[in-house]
Amino acid sequence: MFFYYCDLAWRSIRKTPMLSMLMVLAISIGIGITITTLNVYKTMSYNPAGERSEVINSVQLWSQGLDTWDEFISSITYTDAMNLRNNAELSVKAATYRTGLALQSDNPKIEPVLQSVRVTDRDFFKIFSVPFLYGSYWDANVDLRPAYQVVISQKLNLRFFEGKNSVGKTVFLDRKPYQIVGVIEDWNPQPKYYDPLNGAFNDAEEIFIPFSLTAQEEFDVWGNTSGWQFEPMLTYSDRLASEKVWIQFWTELNSEDEKQNYQSWLTRYVEQQRAIGRFTDTAKTPAEAVQISDIDKWLEDNNVVPKDNKILVGLSLLFLSVCLVNILGLLLTKFLKRAPEVGVRRAIGASRGQIFSQYMVEVGMIGFIGGVVGLLWAWGSLTALHSYFSMDQSVTGLDASMWVITPLIAISTAVLAGVYPAWVVCRTKPSVYLKTQ
Amino acid sequence: MFHIKPILSSLMRSKSAPILLLLQIILSVAIVSNASFIINERLSLMQRESGYAEEQILTFSMYNFDPAIDNMKQNQVDQQILRSLPNVIDASYSNMLPLSDSGWMDRYVDGPDADTAKGTPGFAFYLGNEHLLNVMGAKLIAGRNFTADEINTSLDDSGMMALVSQPLAKAFWGEESPLGKTMYQGAQAVTIIGVVDKLQGAWIDHENFEYSVIQNIDFGGSSSNKSYMVRALPEHIPALEETIRKALHAENPNRVLDHFQTLSEMKNLTYSNHRLMATVLSIMVILLLLITALGLTGMVMFNIQRRTKQIGTRRALGAKKRDIIQYFMVENYMICIVGGVIGGMLALVLGQQLMSLYSLPMVPVIYPIVSVIGLLVVTTLAVIIPATKAANISPAMATRSV
Repeated sequence: MFFYYCDLAWRSIRKTPMLSMLMVLAISIGIGITITTLNVYKTMSYNPAGERSEVINSVQLWSQGLDTWDEFISSITYTDAMNLRNNAELSVKAATYRTGLALQSDNPKIEPVLQSVRVTDRDFFKIFSVPFLYGSYWDANVDLRPAYQVVISQKLNLRFFEGKNSVGKTVFLDRKPYQIVGVIEDWNPQPKYYDPLNGAFNDAEEIFIPFSLTAQEEFDVWGNTSGWQFEPMLTYSDRLASEKVWIQFWTELNSEDEKQNYQSWLTRYVEQQRAIGRFTDTAKTPAEAVQISDIDKWLEDNNVVPKDNKILVGLSLLFLSVCLVNILGLLLTKFLKRAPEVGVRRAIGASRGQIFSQYMVEVGMIGFIGGVVGLLWAWGSLTALHSYFSMDQSVTGLDASMWVITPLIAISTAVLAGVYPAWVVCRTKPSVYLKTQ
Repeated sequence: MFHIKPILSSLMRSKSAPILLLLQIILSVAIVSNASFIINERLSLMQRESGYAEEQILTFSMYNFDPAIDNMKQNQVDQQILRSLPNVIDASYSNMLPLSDSGWMDRYVDGPDADTAKGTPGFAFYLGNEHLLNVMGAKLIAGRNFTADEINTSLDDSGMMALVSQPLAKAFWGEESPLGKTMYQGAQAVTIIGVVDKLQGAWIDHENFEYSVIQNIDFGGSSSNKSYMVRALPEHIPALEETIRKALHAENPNRVLDHFQTLSEMKNLTYSNHRLMATVLSIMVILLLLITALGLTGMVMFNIQRRTKQIGTRRALGAKKRDIIQYFMVENYMICIVGGVIGGMLALVLGQQLMSLYSLPMVPVIYPIVSVIGLLVVTTLAVIIPATKAANISPAMATRSV
C-alpha cells in the first residue's frame, strides 16, 4: 500500500510541476540555511574535552584592584602561577602560555622556521590527553629544575627527521640546543580549548617546552598581557614581578570533594596574599575572589561561539518557519483543489485514514526531496564560506550529526506543514462533490 | 470604492488561506527589518574612513633569533635600509599595527597623584619615531610632529611627547585645545604636541576605536619580535616584499620575516566577520522575498483556478477586467497591510530581545516601515500576473460546465 501511495504521490507531484518545484525550493532553501548556521554553531560550540569536561579545570583569581576590571580574567599573574605550581595541594597541574621561537636542526639544508611554541609543565600532556608517538613528556624534576628539553609534533618530526624516532636528538630554538624527549601524534583540538584566547580556531602549537625555563630564557609572550594599573615593563623581571596577567593555569579535579578542597585552599591563599598587600579589591570576600571553571564554563566565558552566530541561528529558524507557512498554504490550496477527486474515492469506499495517509505520503516525499536538495544547498554554502570568507575548515566541514538532523528537520517541517491540509482534505464529504459532478 | 466589504466577507468565508498568508507576511516583516538593520549597521562599520593610506602601506613582522644581535642598533640600521630602498617613500618601526586586532591599549591621567587624577578613556598606544606619521599617511591638524632628536628609545626616558587623535582630544578636553597639556603615566609626564585628524586603533569593534596616541619612543630595540610599516605607491608594493627580504637578509640572515600584507589587506581580513554577516543576511533577505513572492503567486493562481466560475459570472454580470484585477490586488493589499502592522510590532519586540540578549542597538522604526513598503512592492509584482490572467477569463466560462 505504501508503495502504491508513493506512486500516487509521485504522479500528483508531477501533475503540477511548477507548484511542486516551488514547494521543494522553499523547503530546501529553508533547510539549507538552517543547516548551514546550525552546522557552524554546532562545530563552534563543540566541547573537545568530552567526558573529561568536568575533570579539567582552570583557575581564575580576582587579583585586580578596587574599581578596575569588573569580571574574572581568564589568565593569572606569574607570581600566582608560580605559587600554584609549587604548592603540593594539587598533584596534577600545569601553567601555560604561548611564545614563538625560530626552529633549526643539525641539518643546515632545512631553513629555520618561526614556530609558535607552547610553554608549559609536563602535566599539560596528561590533562589534555595528548597522544605520544615516540618517547614521552619530560621528567617531573624538569618542572622544578629547568632543562632544555622539548616535545615536538609528528609533522615537524617528519620534516626535520624524516619521520624516524628522534627522541634523544637535538633541535635548536633561537639557536639554543634542546633535547627531544617526545614526539606527539597529530593533535589539534577544535576549538583550541586549552587556549581560546588568541583565536579559538587556530591550530595547536607543534613545539612544547618546559615552563620552568621562563625566567632564564625570557620568552616573548604571544598572547594577551593585561594590566589593571600602571606598571611599565622595562625588563623581563618587571614582567615576572608585575600584577599583569598572561598565564593560564590548568588542573584536574576528579570529584566535587576535590573541587571543594581546592576551592578552600585557594581561599586561604587569597587571604594569605592579602596579608602581604596583594589582591587589594576588598569588595570581594576571599572565597569570591576565586573561580574554578570546568571546560563548559571556560568555553562559554571565552565567547568561543560569537554572538553573530547565535543571531544567525535564530533568524534562520524564523526563516524556516516562513518556508513552513509558505508550504502549508501551497499544500492547502493544492489539496483543496483535489477535493472532488477525494470525494469520489471516499464514495467508492476509501476510509478517512487511507486518504489522510495517502496525502501524508505525498507531503513526506516533498519533505524528503526538499531535505536532500537542502543538504546540497548547505554543502554549497559551507564550501563558499570556506573559500570566500576564509572560515576555518573545521567549522565549515559538514558535521556528522547533520546527516541525522537534516532529514529530521526536513520531515518534521513537511509533516507540520502537511498535517492540516491532509486533515482538511480527508474530511471531505463525498456527497457535496458527487452532486456537482 | 475598492469594494472592501465584499472582499472582506469572502476572506472571512475561507479563513485558512488568508491567515497563512498573513502569518507569512508577519514573519517576513519581522525577519527582513531586523536583518536589514544589522546589514546596514555592519556596512556602515565597514565604510568608516580609517585615516590611513591603506593601499600604500606594506606591513610585515620581523623576528631576530641571533643571540649576539644588539636589537637597539639593529632596529636603527634596519629602518635606514628600508628607507633607502628604491621606490620606498618612508618606513618606520611601530609597536603595533593599525586595524590588526592586536596591540597596546593604555590611558593617561591628568595629574601625578594617582588618587586624585582624572583618567582619559583607553586609547590605542602607538610608539614610534618622527617617520611614523608620514608612513601612516595620517593628517596632522594642529601642533607639530616629533623631530629626530626628540625620539626616546625606552619607556622610562624623560621628555615624553604625544600626538593624540582628534576624537580622543574631543572626548577628554572638549572644545579646549589639548596642545601643551601635560599628562601622566604614573609619575612620568607626557606633553601633548600635536593633534591628528583621524587615527584608528587596532580593535574595530572597540568603543574607543577612534581614540589613539602616538608617543615619541622608537621601541624597536626592546624585543626580538617587531613590526614595520613601509610606505610606497601601490604599483610598487608587489615587488617590494622580495626587495625587503633580500636587503634585510643580506644585513643579517638570522631572522625570520613574515606576514607581509598591505594595510588594506589587513583591514579586509579584520572586517571579514562583518562582511560575512552582511552577506549572509543579505542572501537571507533576498531568498525570503523570493520565496514569499513565489508562494504568493502560487496561491493566487490556485485561488483563481478555483474561482474561475465566479470570475466568469462577475464578468458576465458586467464587471470590467480592471475590476477583477483590482479585486485581487485589494484583497492582497489588505492582508499585506494587516500583516505588516503586526509584523512591524513583532520586529520591534524581536529587536528588543536581540538588544537585551546580545547588546545590539535597538531597531529604529523606519526599518519595519521600509520592510512593509518593500513587501507591498513584492506583493504587487507577485499578484499582478495571475490577476491579469484572471481578468482574461471569458464570461462564457460562467455558463459552461454547470
